[in-house]
Amino acid sequence: MDDTLDINVTVNGRPRTINVAVNQTLLDVLRNEIDLTGTKECCVVGECGACTVIVDGRSVNSCLMLAVEVDGAELTTVEGLETEDGLSPLQAAFLDEGAAQCGFCIPGQLMSAAALLEHNQDPTVEEIQEGLAGNLCRCAGYEQITKAVLAAAKAVT
Amino acid sequence: MMKSVGESPRRGGGYGRVTGHQEYMADIHLPDTLQVKLVTLDCARAKIISIDTTEADKVPGVQFVMTPADLPQPMPRFGPQFQDRPILAVGETKYFGEPVAAVAAETKEAAEEGARLVKVEHEVLEGGVYCVTDALAADALLVQDPSLRPNDPLADTNIIDEKNFGWGNIDDQPVDLIVEDNYQFPMVTHFAIEPHGFMAVPDGDGIVIWSTIQHPYLLQKMMAKMLDMPLSKVRVHAPDPGGGFGGKQIAKFEPLIAYMALRAGRPVRLVLTLDETFQAVRRSSAEIRVRTGFDSEGYIQFQDIETNFLVGAYVDIADRVVSKSSYSAAGPYRVPAVKIIGRTILSHTTPSTAFRGFGIPQISWARESVIDEAALQLGIDRLEIRLRNLPRYKEAFIPGEEADGDWEQTVRTAAKRIGWGDPLEPNRGRGIAIGLKSGPTTGLSYATVRLLYDGSAMIYSGTSDMGQGARTIFAQIAADELGVPLDEITVVMGDTAVVPYDQQTSASRSSVLMGTAVLRACQDIQGKALTMAAKLYNLDEDAIKIDSSLVVLPDRELSLIDVMQEALAPLGGEVVGNGEMRKDKDPSHPLGGTAAFFEFNCTASEVEVDMETGATTLIKHVTVGDVGRSLNPLQVKSQDDGAAIMGLGHTLMEHYIFDDQGRIRNLGAIDYRILTSMDLPLELHSESIENADGPGPYGIKGVSEGSLLVTAPAVGAAIREATGTVIRDLPLTPQRVWEALQEKK
Amino acid sequence: MNNFQYARPETVAEAVALLEEHGPDARLLAGGTDLVIELRNHWVEPKVVIDLKRIPELAPAITERDGYLSISATTAMTDIVENEQVQRYFPALAESAVVVGSVQIRARATLAGNICNGSPAADTAPPLLVYDAVVVVAGPKGTRRIATNDFIVGPGKTALERGELVTAIELPIPEWAYGAAYTRLTRRRGTDLASITLCCGVDAAGNTRLAYGSVGPRAFLVIDDSGVLADPNVAIEDKVEPLDAMFHLASPSLKSMRASPDYRLAMLRVLGARALDTAIGRLTKELV
Repeated sequence: MDDTLDINVTVNGRPRTINVAVNQTLLDVLRNEIDLTGTKECCVVGECGACTVIVDGRSVNSCLMLAVEVDGAELTTVEGLETEDGLSPLQAAFLDEGAAQCGFCIPGQLMSAAALLEHNQDPTVEEIQEGLAGNLCRCAGYEQITKAVLAAAKAVT
Repeated sequence: MMKSVGESPRRGGGYGRVTGHQEYMADIHLPDTLQVKLVTLDCARAKIISIDTTEADKVPGVQFVMTPADLPQPMPRFGPQFQDRPILAVGETKYFGEPVAAVAAETKEAAEEGARLVKVEHEVLEGGVYCVTDALAADALLVQDPSLRPNDPLADTNIIDEKNFGWGNIDDQPVDLIVEDNYQFPMVTHFAIEPHGFMAVPDGDGIVIWSTIQHPYLLQKMMAKMLDMPLSKVRVHAPDPGGGFGGKQIAKFEPLIAYMALRAGRPVRLVLTLDETFQAVRRSSAEIRVRTGFDSEGYIQFQDIETNFLVGAYVDIADRVVSKSSYSAAGPYRVPAVKIIGRTILSHTTPSTAFRGFGIPQISWARESVIDEAALQLGIDRLEIRLRNLPRYKEAFIPGEEADGDWEQTVRTAAKRIGWGDPLEPNRGRGIAIGLKSGPTTGLSYATVRLLYDGSAMIYSGTSDMGQGARTIFAQIAADELGVPLDEITVVMGDTAVVPYDQQTSASRSSVLMGTAVLRACQDIQGKALTMAAKLYNLDEDAIKIDSSLVVLPDRELSLIDVMQEALAPLGGEVVGNGEMRKDKDPSHPLGGTAAFFEFNCTASEVEVDMETGATTLIKHVTVGDVGRSLNPLQVKSQDDGAAIMGLGHTLMEHYIFDDQGRIRNLGAIDYRILTSMDLPLELHSESIENADGPGPYGIKGVSEGSLLVTAPAVGAAIREATGTVIRDLPLTPQRVWEALQEKK
Repeated sequence: MNNFQYARPETVAEAVALLEEHGPDARLLAGGTDLVIELRNHWVEPKVVIDLKRIPELAPAITERDGYLSISATTAMTDIVENEQVQRYFPALAESAVVVGSVQIRARATLAGNICNGSPAADTAPPLLVYDAVVVVAGPKGTRRIATNDFIVGPGKTALERGELVTAIELPIPEWAYGAAYTRLTRRRGTDLASITLCCGVDAAGNTRLAYGSVGPRAFLVIDDSGVLADPNVAIEDKVEPLDAMFHLASPSLKSMRASPDYRLAMLRVLGARALDTAIGRLTKELV
């Protein structure tokens, strides 16, 4: 029988108690238990970044965390980026700069970008490329994504 | 109203993509679904002796294990060209990762546990065909049983087909220089960030299938035939793929999942891991021999090209890759005599399939490198030798095929942008290369457009939007033609029960072919509006003109929407338009038809090589494509940038690495390297030549593949200039460049 | 993943007791960036996974005391990269920490985990060797301090005994000017596992410490006290031979798909010379 644990976690601003198997990854819990399918699954070895979420202010690969590890944490997924006024400046910039093509990597790119901008409000191109190097995009919209992050930084400051 | 065509509005479907609400195949959860895990062996070739499911069946949650014995006998085989691929391995596995059984369970974890416990008694078979030399050896192991190809004289070989194309007599040409060399192109994989996924559920006397497939209608046709159901009973849902690049064109595990769903009587679903996608799709590797004759001024007198494409254990669409790419192997050059032999060769490896560029990157790597060699030997500038041999606009360069653009303008633009001829800093080099790829040779697309009473519109199209932005393009066309604001247009795709037939989403066709169908559907509506206006205002139809979304009466102009609303009041309703675009098959043409258009590209690159480590830095990378017209400039640039970066992948770092048992050692994201945001050229320029001379709406041609056609020869030439070494194998890894430098010493 | 029990000790003593009880059936969870992959692939099938992140004594902390900079066991790479004292005293450690995976990986992966895994390619091992770091270990018999060079044993092997865990890594703060640099060989500029990891440190007394990994079963430390290598006035040509000699321990694997042995051996020399040059440059700057 699987061991389970009740964890308390704030997901996109909403405090929740979730019963999780102790051997379940955070990614599986998000996608399969609480229907937050915006977070994507691809490489499951922490290389592609499609599963990136923000835990206590830092971007992490949810495929490499056990769900029990976020007990007590504050968690943001792509579904939590929109504000009361609609798309966040970052999301809007992704649309305006054409950063989303097939879109599959975009939730992860957005979360990495959001975490970057949280710590660095005025990043250079190099800092953006370094900050998002853990997010693969096979459409290779890297230039558009970088431009979008720059534009979002400008829009906020 | 502002024109939409030529602008770069926000992407159709963009909102879902930046909010996480876009539903990809793996995001669709049906209640009561069984999860599937494939059972595979840890080797390429094995004789299957028995399959024991006892332990797997005991795993809580496991419902059943599908084995070959549970499928119709003889095992159904499928494939777009040859029906050679069995649903599960029959008797022996022929490549690493070929499934021998599949476990269906209530949870993914249980299915995985079950798959580990299925006991496949097997004998690892000695040897295997892993390269062209092995495959063509006189005593070569046969990958496929000759009985699969009755009446085929090649059935006793590993050659599926040998294509012979050409014109003129290559032995009759007066030449001053002949350059001959062999080039290798590795096996690379699509690596779409969305792994392939499949789901099926029986529906009364029919079946519903979900797939990440690019061609829902091709899948529908195949499944209907296999299951002996009418087309009307096979419904295919094809949610927007999360990247396709050709790797999602052809059915893979849909037949397996369909049979499992029919057995289970409930939804059954399989989502591959990234590692499993490496075992499902790849590009054909190739060995290419090019022998080219020149006169002393660098004019090409003949090309003698032999392409040996190593495809996988089953043909998939690879034989078409070989024929289509070999046909234009001589490239965009004026050549009096050409001889081309193209071979499709089986091997004990992942079945290769369509992949952006469709065989052209392999061939142009060899052809363009040989032209560079000749230029150096003749003392002619590498740009100049290409310009001398470039066909002019409308000039036939393959019998029956004309240059469909001002290609010189493309080449000169790229040369200017890279600074061709400018002095080089130390350890740097530049390269330039040109190439072209045929667009679709046949096509059939239908579109339906509904202009709704409130002036909004819906477009129904069987195209798959996998990132190329088809939704946006079709909406832009309808916006201009009907006068509907873009944000009031919904584009419906990906459901064969809803959208009309489309042949496929491939060969950069959709803007041209489906775009034309959408345009014609809008014109159908315009025609109806004209009739409405004639009736409303008591005019002769001849007295009324349509100017896109305007209905022009003798004395005034009305918007098409106003006319429609007035005519339909008071009951409301809508106007439905249908459009069709057909490019029929030409049985006399070796490819079944001429190219609808060419994607012509010139790529130029400047690199700096670290002479101690062999590492290459891309200082500047330029690609210029003749696109006819940029219907959406941002999308065109994004596709071109993306193709260029993907091309840099196979040029610099991507390749499968095998062990001696045919296993791919670098499955997955850790040891198969693709470019990240930190590996980009310091400057990347993608530009378009726009002369509105294409066959699509407003003069467009297809785009999306051009920028990776000649990445390798351009970068290879730049590295050659920087280092003074010639490398004929890809990828040009630091180690390989370093080894070449050592050899030079 | 197999079914395991998840333990969340609140003290080091509890964790040690659990480790002692379960021995090889227990796995420690700090950052988890390696462990979760091993679990998913069934490379390990522990009975119990012990999460160290709820132990206050091991909470992320970088503290200076008694001439040491102490980095606690659950301190993530990101904390190390961002820490001013690390940047000031141990720049080569910061340089190695900042290339461990991506931002996402560094937010979780710990320094202790990086060396406990025993990967020959661990990025932080060479700087820890050069800086003469000490691994602080708690176990059933109390606490012991092990020099990094003795702690690292071989692939997947450390000096840890049953019931023992790493509580901190302590780096002696150099009393005199010190110059060190870290470099690595990869297949691309973006995140990659290194085919060579290399750190070089020099002091004004002429000692050169060179550590390199990914070219043998473990990262090696070699010391040159002849003064030749560290001397900024000795021509680079005259350093080729003594530098070459420093790499005598390298024995790169024939089977690796990341780089051939010949290439690795050649690159050791290239990277070694470059790191030495940077280290000397840094030392010179310190001395000014």
